[in-house]
Amino acid sequence: MKSKNKRISQSFLRWLLVLVSVAFLATTVFLWIIQTRLSEENAISLLALNLSDVREDVSDASDENLLKLTHHVADDLNRMKTIDNAVLQELVNRYDITEINVINEEGIIFATTHPDFMGYDMRNGEQSAEFIGLFYGSTEYVQDYRPTTYDPSLFRKYAGVRLQRGGFVQVGYGAERFQQDIDEFVVGVTRNRHVGSGGCIIIVDEAWNIVSDRMGNEGKNLDVTGLWIDTSSMPENKVFVADVYGQSCYCMYQSVEGYCIVAVMPRSEAALSRNVSVGVTTAMQIMVFAALFIMVFMLVKRLVVNNIYQINDSLSAITEGKLDTVVNVRSHVEFDELSNDINSTVDTLKRYIADAAARIDAELAFAKAIQHSAMPSVFPPYPGRKEFDIHAAMFTAKEVGGDFYDFYFVDEDTLAFLIADVSGKGIPAAMFMMQSKALLKSCAESGMSVEAVFTTANAKLCEGNEAGMFVTAWMGLLNVKTGQLTFANAGHNPPLLRRADGSFEYLKSRAGFVLAGMEGIRYRKNELQLNPGDQIYLYTDGVTEATDAAQTLYGEQRLLDLLNAHHGACAKAICEAVKADVDTFVGEAEQFDDITMLCLNYAGSCVHEEVDA
Amino acid sequence: MTIEKKLNAAELTITLTGRLDTITAPQLEAELKASLPGVEHLVLDFAALDYLSSAGLRVLLAAQKQMNKQGDMVVRSVNQTIAEIFEVTGFGDILTIE
Repeated sequence: MKSKNKRISQSFLRWLLVLVSVAFLATTVFLWIIQTRLSEENAISLLALNLSDVREDVSDASDENLLKLTHHVADDLNRMKTIDNAVLQELVNRYDITEINVINEEGIIFATTHPDFMGYDMRNGEQSAEFIGLFYGSTEYVQDYRPTTYDPSLFRKYAGVRLQRGGFVQVGYGAERFQQDIDEFVVGVTRNRHVGSGGCIIIVDEAWNIVSDRMGNEGKNLDVTGLWIDTSSMPENKVFVADVYGQSCYCMYQSVEGYCIVAVMPRSEAALSRNVSVGVTTAMQIMVFAALFIMVFMLVKRLVVNNIYQINDSLSAITEGKLDTVVNVRSHVEFDELSNDINSTVDTLKRYIADAAARIDAELAFAKAIQHSAMPSVFPPYPGRKEFDIHAAMFTAKEVGGDFYDFYFVDEDTLAFLIADVSGKGIPAAMFMMQSKALLKSCAESGMSVEAVFTTANAKLCEGNEAGMFVTAWMGLLNVKTGQLTFANAGHNPPLLRRADGSFEYLKSRAGFVLAGMEGIRYRKNELQLNPGDQIYLYTDGVTEATDAAQTLYGEQRLLDLLNAHHGACAKAICEAVKADVDTFVGEAEQFDDITMLCLNYAGSCVHEEVDA
Repeated sequence: MTIEKKLNAAELTITLTGRLDTITAPQLEAELKASLPGVEHLVLDFAALDYLSSAGLRVLLAAQKQMNKQGDMVVRSVNQTIAEIFEVTGFGDILTIE
């Protein structure tokens, strides 16, 4: 039978697959998020690193340049005896710089190319005060490009160098001059610089004109790149996303020395590193989960499913009736307990069965005693009667049987004797047999003729015969004085008759239908004259149909031959001889049907009279 | 014993092979109980039946009784052994034997 239920291994497989898939998905999603964030952070730090590098480069380059010029100016001034504005103007022109101021030891500008600065005290402004440090140890100082204290709208980059006579000289670049000075350098800065592999640096001036760009867009507005920076709403060193040259990029900018440096890195490049990382990890995860899946599945199959099969095999054996089978799966505590439980259940069952069997056996033994005691069992039954010698025996296949024999006097000289066989065996047959036997006897004792006994008994037995049982019977009424025998046959095997001077022959007569088989059957009477020395042998088909181990039937011929071989033996000897021969024939094979027989030797009234006399 | 059934409209033919005895009779009884409802002609083919015991006779009797109510029953191809059993037991009188 195909069961609709799933196997444990299948259910387990399904759930394991679901769990592993969920775990796999969760880790992959988690990994994706982590890696995305990580790649973004990587991009940011890469951008910041490049920005600060470029910023360093730019500011280093401009500082160096200006400081070198300032040293030249200082050297020239050191060689001069007097310093005035005209000299300074000449130096401005010579070195192509924007402004020169000379400061005395009090920190006051006493010579300058910028007329407004004459007499300015350097300590007055935050920006200019930074140079006061030159009075206290340092010999040079460079400032970033930024607004001056004197006039915040005026942007300057200053460098200062101490003079031998005391005080110091301050050289300044204006915006134009400063950028002119470092543009050349700045242009070069971005040429060989990459941010990641596909990113770049773009440098623009204060007017958002590109100063340096790998794409060669110098001189054009930043708009050509697609970038747009609003310094008021977009703080420095903060990453933002913009389309640069048609590619979505992470961008970051920083201002230095009047320039704006923008670092750009394509998002696809950041995503690539994430995709590679997630891909590799996912592939490894698939392998790990697959291995885990197979291992767990095999383990469960080996530990659980195989043990269950083993227990099931034992249970099948038990179900088939091998109650001595012991379930012995001891690999784990659970199976150990299960085995013990099953074994104790089977033990209990065996005990109950044994108890029930013992009870049934006792009841059957009792039933057997009742059945046997219902039939005449004392032989010789009529020690005072010399007209005949009668003997009968019944051997049941089970404890109780459906065969029976009976004999009794219905009047002083009339002996009724019969043999019968109820269809089937065991208790139902035994019960029907008792009923039939009692019914036949009561009919016969009421003085009916033999055919009337059968006809009446049949009608009674048919009433309420729900189980469809029937009885075959042969009954004779013998006047022991005259030897006159009337008999009727209800579907029974014909008896064997031996005349005093002859051998046994089957007493064929037209048989009537079995008793209890069908209502309204009428039986016929047969008549026969027995003479002294005649012998009649009745039997049930348990004799002729006894079977040996090779399924051979004992047979009617063998019975006939055996009886003839015991010519003249008494009734008891005949019965014993037949039983002994049947036993020899059957051998080890099981007795299958009840074996019943009755033998009557008629001696005649003369013997009786002689004894009486 | 093997039981072979052939149902043709309301005619059921049962062919028995082997021995119909105490052991196998319940098998035939169960088969008949399941199959007989609605059958009007029951044919029992005994050509290959070797042996018939009283338990088998009981089943035949039950079948005959039921078929008396709902149609008819015929026993066909009865061999010598079985015929003798029918004769001795008087079943020959109540069965229709062809």
